[in-house]
Amino acid sequence: MKTLKFVVTVAIVLVTSFGASAQLTGREIIDKTYNRPAGDDQTSILTMTLINKSGQSRVRKIKQFTKDFGDMEKKIMFFMSPADVKNTSFMNWSYDNDKADDQWIYLPAIKKTKRISSDSKSDYFMGSDFTYDDLGDRKLDADIHTLLREETINGFDCYVVENVSKDDEYMYSKTVSWIRKESFVGVKKEFYDEDGDLLKILTIKKVEKISGYWVIVSSEMKNIQKNHTTKINLTDVHVNTNVPASKFTERMMMRGI
Amino acid sequence: MKKIVIAIILLVVTGGMTRAQSIDVSGFARTYEGAKTESGDFSIIQQTLNLNFEKKGEKAAFKANPMLYLYNSDSLHLNLRELFVDMYFSNFDLRVGKQQIVWGKADGVFITDVVSPLNLTEFLLPDFDEIRIGVIATKLDYYVGNNTFEFVWVPQFTPITKPASNSIWYIQPDFPAQPTFNWNNSEIKPSLENSEMFIKYSAMTSVIDFDLMAAYTWDDTPAMHVNKIIDMSSGSPVLSGLNITPEYHRLSLAGASFSSEIKGVILRGEAAYYNGKYFQTEDPAAKDALIQKDYLNYVLGLDFNIGDVKLSAQFIQKYILDFDKNMIDDEINNMATFLARYDMLRETLHLELFSYIGLTNEDALIRPKLTYDFDDSFSILLGANIFVGDENGQFGRYHDNTMMYMKLKYNF
Repeated sequence: MKTLKFVVTVAIVLVTSFGASAQLTGREIIDKTYNRPAGDDQTSILTMTLINKSGQSRVRKIKQFTKDFGDMEKKIMFFMSPADVKNTSFMNWSYDNDKADDQWIYLPAIKKTKRISSDSKSDYFMGSDFTYDDLGDRKLDADIHTLLREETINGFDCYVVENVSKDDEYMYSKTVSWIRKESFVGVKKEFYDEDGDLLKILTIKKVEKISGYWVIVSSEMKNIQKNHTTKINLTDVHVNTNVPASKFTERMMMRGI
Repeated sequence: MKKIVIAIILLVVTGGMTRAQSIDVSGFARTYEGAKTESGDFSIIQQTLNLNFEKKGEKAAFKANPMLYLYNSDSLHLNLRELFVDMYFSNFDLRVGKQQIVWGKADGVFITDVVSPLNLTEFLLPDFDEIRIGVIATKLDYYVGNNTFEFVWVPQFTPITKPASNSIWYIQPDFPAQPTFNWNNSEIKPSLENSEMFIKYSAMTSVIDFDLMAAYTWDDTPAMHVNKIIDMSSGSPVLSGLNITPEYHRLSLAGASFSSEIKGVILRGEAAYYNGKYFQTEDPAAKDALIQKDYLNYVLGLDFNIGDVKLSAQFIQKYILDFDKNMIDDEINNMATFLARYDMLRETLHLELFSYIGLTNEDALIRPKLTYDFDDSFSILLGANIFVGDENGQFGRYHDNTMMYMKLKYNF
């Protein structure tokens, strides 16, 4: 009996200690979220619906291509609507190291490709509730990530991680992310303004497994303070279709789709 | 009347094409009215219909861009701004037809951007997409990764379009005697010998974007060959008149431009060396009152943000080499541009201030603008063009033309 008790005790200690060592840190959770397998390339049509507090909506439609080049990721976006931005294109090269992104915009009216600063990541994208930073991959170590708790939300077991920027000038005092434990896909994210008040809530509405990879195909960002919302839907999503490297060039920015 | 008929036929025919071939149609309709602040006279009453017909395929594309301008109530101008066919190959593209070609990294100044000439009938006020004149050309772009070699052949020379003598933008030249113009030498006949050639290499990298270019072209503005008529009837020589023969001359140039980002600031530069331009001179020994000189034209610019305000500033210098003190032009001409832009109300209200500042003549053109987008298609623009400073300067001389204006635009 004593032997059995000893064995059970050892087993409990082992399980507990293994459990403790398996407990991920906030940084590791966000690392797994940011670096979740997404395939080598992706193509989709992004429809962004901007809804103001009166319920009136404006729609932006973009065809986008992304490709992983190992130590860098390239993205090219072709604006399909509204009419005044049609045939405009935008290209972003982001790097795994600390190098700032390279960005260019092609303006068809003046037939010119211009290098633009990637410093304005806090700017809102096309008048939506998403900043460039909200839409892109934020650098992992730009924030300090702290695991707050684990809880179940919308039926998913989630990690709840607080992210505080290392840059005091950053537009958010903190963000809080709810991340599914089994897939490291986000469920919800709260954004707090510089005064610490809740500013925006991002809700992931629909996730689909496409060619073996989780893809967020529907999400909604609600600005709580100004009572307007932006919905994003991805359609015609394709993963790993061997998008050629030549897609991510000035030639294609100017040619369009 | 003939132009109206042409325009209607164009619309009907292209409308039919659009349905039959599923050609993509886009463009805008715009009404533009401006009045001079001093006199209250209308400086412009213009209605515009811009049509873009496009068809894109995997191997070829087509574009036609007619623009219809209606001035006052009955003066219709049809401008076929672009009409070309694209052919796509694995490593190169070919564009043949009337096209606008834009080179360089500078904004609002034209240094290596010399392929498409300018329409200056309304000075520098039209939007930059409307100020360029399309040229009939063959353009070949050869690609190696993010490097591009571009060759442009223009068989027919197109000069700058200047304001008509009844335009508020026409400046009456100041002659010491009655001039008589002889326009016989002012036309360049299209031929292989008279064609223009342009070449450019450009690279887009993660560190810097840059271009190198060279051109064998015609000077877009004619040189004024002046011959004095001397009257000896009184016994002593008296200047009684001038015979002026405007003539276009060959001009060659080489240049480069770059843009790069340094800590969130975009640094841009562009320079060109112009070889053998004809300048006006008061040297009595000079033939036809002209002298040939080389000159350097360059710009350095910065784009940066302060908070949510986007700012851009450029310094531009034109420097005539081996300067002769009898020349009419300044040896050095300095200019600057400044742009501030602020978008608000979820990018529906746009505030903009753009200025050309003549540093040599201490004059300026100041252009504040306010644009409000009622929806994704319909916008209203209220603005002003304010000319200030030295009345001999290229901006100050238009001080009587300071105006306020409004544009209503519908995009489709």
